[in-house]
Amino acid sequence: MNEERRTFMKKAGLGLMAGFGAAAIASSPLFERVAASAWAAAPKRPGTRWGMVIDTRRCREGCSACVDACRLSHNVPTFSDPRRRVEWIHREEGRALLGSACATQKLLPALCNHCEEPSCVRSCPTDSIFRRRDGIVAVDYHRCIGCRSCMLGCPYGEVSFNWSDPRPAITEPTPDYPTRQQGVVEKCNFCSDRLKRGLQPSCSSRCPEGAMTFGDLNDPDSAVRRLLASSDSMRRKPELGTEPKVYYII
Amino acid sequence: MPSKKILIGAAAALMLLAAAYLATGAETGLVSDPASAAAPDTTGCIYPKEYMHSHHMQVLADWKEHAAHEGPDAVMTAPDGRRFQKDLATCLGCHSDNRQFCFSCHTYANVKPNCWNCHISPQDLP
Repeated sequence: MNEERRTFMKKAGLGLMAGFGAAAIASSPLFERVAASAWAAAPKRPGTRWGMVIDTRRCREGCSACVDACRLSHNVPTFSDPRRRVEWIHREEGRALLGSACATQKLLPALCNHCEEPSCVRSCPTDSIFRRRDGIVAVDYHRCIGCRSCMLGCPYGEVSFNWSDPRPAITEPTPDYPTRQQGVVEKCNFCSDRLKRGLQPSCSSRCPEGAMTFGDLNDPDSAVRRLLASSDSMRRKPELGTEPKVYYII
Repeated sequence: MPSKKILIGAAAALMLLAAAYLATGAETGLVSDPASAAAPDTTGCIYPKEYMHSHHMQVLADWKEHAAHEGPDAVMTAPDGRRFQKDLATCLGCHSDNRQFCFSCHTYANVKPNCWNCHISPQDLP
């Protein structure tokens, strides 16, 4: 009798644990399927809203084409000291980037998420970092006073500061784009200069595997929306409520 | 007496017309279609030469602000209807031909604007 009771309790306990576990996985906010109707039903802001989807399954081991293309096209300086590094896009291990639910050990591209609710914009005292109508979070370098509040505000660490004059550290200068000067922050601008000329961002256009897709998140027929509807995607730290617009497909 | 009334009427009509002209956005028109904004018009000066001599700093400050904040929407419509993308590249489209365009005058007047700390000066180009 006692033995039977013991096994019953064991089985019931196991069953309960399995049930809770399944419920936790099913309701987990780590993975999200962005249904096609979700955007159309309640677009937060009308008009164009630029976003990016990175298909990490296509991301090749040891490839740094996106990082190199960005560095080249925006005169991003190369400082050897890791504490003074200036980066618009860099590569980071999947687990460190997307949390423990992401099992990949590969290095994935990480860039400014151009959040819908950007905390860097809230922390800027001079309004020099702002959210444009098309959803791009841009820096007005003319106004930046170099207080680095945005670097503290950004939960993704995607804002860099020029501790010294960046010009001597630019290996291959491009005359098409300005440099920055000592004492201002800089970050990815979703290649707003190239978008103005009708071109795709340099990272996504230079990716040999076509892993980075860029487009209008408000347009239901855009490539980004089709990709988001077809597979589960992850975002960086979605629990913070900043609503990043860079999605990762694992 | 009637001539005075006519004068007042004419003045009021003139003021209304001027208000309507200003309200249509003579200075900064917001453009929704980026295709028309993308092509910079480099056919001629945006303002008369004398005005640019005295006021180019104000024009540049206005363009700087709008270009940085509005991107492709930053378009200036000249009084004669021509449209210019507010961008330093639009200026340099004509004015980079003379490599001394900014510098000769600024050296003479001993003013040191910091534009070229970041923007690539035409003089720095090979």
